[in-house]
Amino acid sequence: MAALLEISDVSVRFGGLTAVDGVSFEVSAGEVCALIGPNGAGKSTLFNAVAGNVVISSGRVLLRGAPIQHLTPHEISARGVRRTFQNGGLFAHLTALENVLVGLHTQVASGFLGLLCGAESSRRAEAAATRRARELLALMELDQVADHLASELSGGQQRMVEIVRALATDPPLLLLDEPAVGLAPPMRDRLGGIIRRLAKERGLGIVLIEHAIELVMSVSDRVIVLNYGRKVADGSPAEVRADKRVLEAYLGHA
Amino acid sequence: MRGGRRIVWLIPLLLVPLPLVLDQYQQYVANLILVYVPVGVGFNVVVGNLGQLAFSNVAFFGIGAYTAGILMLKLGLPWWITVLPAGVMGGIAGAAASVPALRGVRLFYLAIMTLAFGELMRWVYIRWEPVTGGSFGMAVPEASVLGWALNVESRKFYAFLVLVVLVIMLTDRLLRSRFGRAFVAIKGNEEAAAAMGIPTDRYILLGFAWGGFVVGIAGSMYAALVGHLSPASFDLTELILQFAIIMVGGLGSLAGSVLGAALLTAAPEFFRDLPGFEELLFAVLIIVVILFLPRGLASLLARAHPLFDDRYFRE
Repeated sequence: MAALLEISDVSVRFGGLTAVDGVSFEVSAGEVCALIGPNGAGKSTLFNAVAGNVVISSGRVLLRGAPIQHLTPHEISARGVRRTFQNGGLFAHLTALENVLVGLHTQVASGFLGLLCGAESSRRAEAAATRRARELLALMELDQVADHLASELSGGQQRMVEIVRALATDPPLLLLDEPAVGLAPPMRDRLGGIIRRLAKERGLGIVLIEHAIELVMSVSDRVIVLNYGRKVADGSPAEVRADKRVLEAYLGHA
Repeated sequence: MRGGRRIVWLIPLLLVPLPLVLDQYQQYVANLILVYVPVGVGFNVVVGNLGQLAFSNVAFFGIGAYTAGILMLKLGLPWWITVLPAGVMGGIAGAAASVPALRGVRLFYLAIMTLAFGELMRWVYIRWEPVTGGSFGMAVPEASVLGWALNVESRKFYAFLVLVVLVIMLTDRLLRSRFGRAFVAIKGNEEAAAAMGIPTDRYILLGFAWGGFVVGIAGSMYAALVGHLSPASFDLTELILQFAIIMVGGLGSLAGSVLGAALLTAAPEFFRDLPGFEELLFAVLIIVVILFLPRGLASLLARAHPLFDDRYFRE
C-alpha cells in the first residue's frame, strides 16, 4: 500500500538559492512526523511545496500514490491535505463559526442558481453545515465563542479554531505550521494531547513544524531534521536527540 | 431567526404610499435614490465583501445605461426587456474588469488599472458616435413595462422599487451563502481561503461579475429615469460619488448601500435651497459621517437593532 504522503527527492530553488535540496520521506496514516531545524532550513518551503503554495523545481509529492505536485492549493486541499498557518490564518472579519463554515466550503452542496432561487435544498445544505460546524467547535469546547469574531479570541482559542477549521472536512493529512507559537505552557500541553489523539484515535497523518522542542519530542513518532535544505537526520525522537549531526545543525561545528 | 429577518422585507411595503405624499420633484429624487441603491450594492460586493479596491464601477453603470438606451432607441425594444441585457452586459464588463485582479494585481495598482477601464469606456461613448450619439449623447425613448408607459415619476418609482427589492434579495442570498463567505475569506486571507479548498480565482471573477450585473441593472434604471445619456454622466466625479455612497453607507453592508445611496443622493437636493453652499455642505456631510461613523451609517442601524446587522466587514 502506498504511503499517505510521499515526498520523493523534492528540491525547491529560488533563483540561485536552493531552499530545499533533494528531500525524501514518507508519512503514514496515524503518524505524527515533525520537521525541525534552524531558521532558514527549508521547513516552511517544504510545507508550502506540499500544500501547493510553492512550485517545486524537481522531485515528486504523492498523496496515496497519486502525484499532487502540479496541483493548485485549492485542489490539493480538496484532495484532503489541510493546513494551518504560521502567523494564524483565521479570517479576522468572520466569527469562529463562520471560519469553520469556510473550512466546510467544499462540502456545502448549494449551487449558484438554486441559491439565488431560494431553493429548499440550498437552505438545508446551509443549515446542515452550520449544525456540523457548531458540533465541531463543541468537540473542542469552543461552543461558547462560536459567534465571536476571530479577532476577539485569545491566541490559544484562535489556534484551536484554526485546527477545527482545518479538520472540518475530515481530511486524512494535516499540516501544522508552528501551532505552539505564543501559547502558554498549559495550552501547549493541551495542544500536544490533541495532536496525539488526532493521530492515534482518528488515524490522521500529521506533519508538524515546531520550534518548541519539548512538544516535538513528546508528540512525534518521527522527527526529521533539516539543515540548509537537506535532510540531516530522520528517526524516533530518542534517535534524533542522540544524533551528533543534529547538534551541529543547531549549534554549528563544535 | 430567519422568521425575524423576514420583517425587513416589509420595509418596501411601507414605501408604497410614498409617491402620494411627495411632489413631482421629490418623486424624481426618490427615483434617483432607487437608481443609486443597486449602484452601491454592486460596488459594495466588489470592494466591501470581496475586498478588491476596484474602481471600474462607473464603467458597469455606463455600459448598463447605454445597453438599455441603445436597445430602446435602435431596436425599438420596450425598457423592461432591456433591463436583463443591461445587467448581463454589466456582468460581462465585471468579468472583464476582474482580469487584472485574477493576474494578481492588488490594492492601489488595481485601483488605477480599473479606473482606466471607466475612462476607456468614456472614450467609447464619445467615439462610437453612430450608436451612442457621441459627446452630445443620446435621447432615450419613453420607458414602459408590458405596455404600461412610465410617463410619470410615480410609475417609475414602482417599477424601480420592484427591481431594487429583487436585486437586494438576490444579493442578500448570495452574501449569506458559502459564496458570500468565500468572498470575505478571500478579502481576509487569500492563501488561507485557497487552503480551505476555495478556488479563489473563480470567486473573484464571480464577485466582479455579480457586482457588474447589479450595477448594469442600475444603469438601465438610470436610462429610464433621465431619458438622456451622455458621456459626461459617467466621469470621475460620478465614480467618486459612487465610492462615497459605499464609504458613507458602510463597506460590506447591504443596508449601508441603501442608506449611503439615500443620503448622498438626497442631500445635494436639499442643499440646493442654500445656493452658494451646496458643495461645502455636501463635503462637510461626508467628512462628518466618516469622522464619527468610520464604519458608515450601517453601524448606526446595526446598533439600533441586531436585525440590521448584515455586515460582513467587521473589526
